[in-house]
Amino acid sequence: MKIVTAIAWGGVMSAACLSMSAASAQSCSVPVLKVLAQKSLGLTVMEKTLAEYEKKNGTKVQISYFGENDRRSKARLDASTRAGSYQIYYIDEANVAEFATAGWVVPLLKYLPKDADYEDFLPGRRAVASYKGVAYFAPLIGGSDFLFYRRDLLEKAGIAVPKTLDELVAAVKKLNNPPNVYGWAARGQRGSGMNVWRWAPFMLAAGGKWENNGVPTFNSPQAVKATTLYRELFKYSPPGGATYDWSNALEAFRSGKVAFMIESTPFADWMEDPKKSSVVDKVGYVRPPSPLPSAAYGHGLAISATGAKDECTRQAAGKFIAWATGKEQEQARLKDNVFSDYNRSSTIASEYFRKHVKPQIQAGLTDTTPVSRVTIWPSPEWPDIGDNLGVVLEEVFTGTRGDVQSALDEANEYATEVMQRAQKRK
Amino acid sequence: MPYTIRKKRHTWLPAVFLTLPLLVLLILGLVPSIAAINLALQNRVLRYSDSEYVGFANFLRLFGDRRFLNAVQVSAIWEVVTVAGSLIVGVLLAVFLFERIRGRARDLLALLLIVPVLLPRVSAAFIWKFMYSPLMGILNWLLECVGLGGTALLSDPATALYAVALVDIWQWGLFFGTVILKLLETLPTEPLEAARLDYAGTLQVYAYIALPMLKVPIMSLVFIKMVESLRSFDLIYVMTKGGPGIATETLDMYAYAQGIGLMGKVSYASSMAVLMMLATTIIFTLLWKRVAKWEN
Repeated sequence: MKIVTAIAWGGVMSAACLSMSAASAQSCSVPVLKVLAQKSLGLTVMEKTLAEYEKKNGTKVQISYFGENDRRSKARLDASTRAGSYQIYYIDEANVAEFATAGWVVPLLKYLPKDADYEDFLPGRRAVASYKGVAYFAPLIGGSDFLFYRRDLLEKAGIAVPKTLDELVAAVKKLNNPPNVYGWAARGQRGSGMNVWRWAPFMLAAGGKWENNGVPTFNSPQAVKATTLYRELFKYSPPGGATYDWSNALEAFRSGKVAFMIESTPFADWMEDPKKSSVVDKVGYVRPPSPLPSAAYGHGLAISATGAKDECTRQAAGKFIAWATGKEQEQARLKDNVFSDYNRSSTIASEYFRKHVKPQIQAGLTDTTPVSRVTIWPSPEWPDIGDNLGVVLEEVFTGTRGDVQSALDEANEYATEVMQRAQKRK
Repeated sequence: MPYTIRKKRHTWLPAVFLTLPLLVLLILGLVPSIAAINLALQNRVLRYSDSEYVGFANFLRLFGDRRFLNAVQVSAIWEVVTVAGSLIVGVLLAVFLFERIRGRARDLLALLLIVPVLLPRVSAAFIWKFMYSPLMGILNWLLECVGLGGTALLSDPATALYAVALVDIWQWGLFFGTVILKLLETLPTEPLEAARLDYAGTLQVYAYIALPMLKVPIMSLVFIKMVESLRSFDLIYVMTKGGPGIATETLDMYAYAQGIGLMGKVSYASSMAVLMMLATTIIFTLLWKRVAKWEN
């Protein structure tokens, strides 16, 4: 009998809870917002003033941090199972297409407050945050590419800063003097955000294309030519360079062992950190030599469709996102000596930025912004296709596969199958 | 009458105590297994909300998938190299310590030898990754002293798997050394002395008398290591991410990449898990039976 009473009480209590939450939804107050995020310097700065935001808006913000790959899979699991444990996801250029087509995130602009000034975000950032012209996230970090070069080494050897890819290759060969200095470092480790990311501008610059009407075409003669060149450049990189991820490349460069590297713009700040870098004030930053485009990327916050079901929660999420990515936050980052996490035109134009960021980095930014573009294939199937291509490329770079054409043919065929399977399920 | 009571108690008491735990085990073991088999027969991909049953299509696809076939091969090599390596290092080390080192020095060394296995795998992996680094690593510096500098063991498809396996053997081989040493200490001294009186050499004493006497506990160590070696994910993930290319991609790494990593093909990954489960069950049963025969 007692059990029956307990069950009955339980039922009554949960019904009461349900009606309470329904009531609170109607009055449009959102007590808690949960954010699935990846640690960034900018977010660390934001947390310092988060308590004030919570107090002012009556909304508690709980942020759970994960590493990049875990963050991606966790968000994918949460959205696909419709668990909806988080109202806000941290997403990036590589999965915006996937999340948008699956309907896991909602178009952002509808829920951003009017004063969020989304247009102020740099054009490259807005491009990577959108899918088919609709904006899905507000950027927290992002960038495009610099050619990092050692000014001192170039001066000593009397070499001009390379303006074209051919000039770069010649300069890399000339400055290569192992084991003291290696000419080149680049990402070789597999991964759609790793070697494929760095290789893509080479493929596009050679005249290759990802696809033609949805049919993968990245095994063209141009792509083969680009891959062969990319592989050849590893001859001038430090031992093991063909399996470098970006952090290996950066460490090699800032330990003073490398003359040239193409890497993402925010890493310029890493080179100028006297505690960790032995090349402070010795590095120049320019756009990647023509015809290489500058690969734009961005990570930011988006509203989860299942986590934030009702309009009220979505608006609260939009409000938080606007605050976390707003102009004031970007200024606060600068004042906290975080010079890598900028995304807004107004930040770059601000006096504090002009005063404190090294002139060579500012000059590089002006140089590389006009050629910044999306260089990956913005398709929902991208993670699958890119991951497999990364494996094949690493095999080519490390010598497991000698024949570039057959390797790319295989990756292209894999991509074709993936696209066909995706077509069938639509 | 007393006999029947005793008999009854004898038959029922274990059942009373075991029913509940066995039931819990059954649920914990069976539910995920059935769920995995169920998932393996569908075409579930995380991105789509719907899925349908496709029979054995996933399994058929696996056998034409070069990454899967490669992963089977890599896993098999990994299993053999790490288990055999740990055992050989362990036995040699134990015999050396038992023969040459006495008293407190031996205890101290035994204590030091179990430190590597106490390190979390991820930390061990990071430490060794830095040591292997061709530009800044200590191993390369040592190799340079003997004129072999500039080798990137982790980046060479031919050496990467063995370089990672060395870390595993460093952790487990040294630990096995301590365990086998302690086992040797428990042996009665008479048979060994008798053999020596009959002019048996040191090698013969161990190969024909001491180690065969420890056959059963050593086989248990081998089984533990076999199960442990199946879970190599953390070490490989940190040190090579399965690369270069797919040179160190084991089955669990590949299943992770397909299911949870970037692709979200959970059904495909499940079919791999089901095959792994079948293969390990069969192999372990066969081995177990073999060992049981020895014991008899």
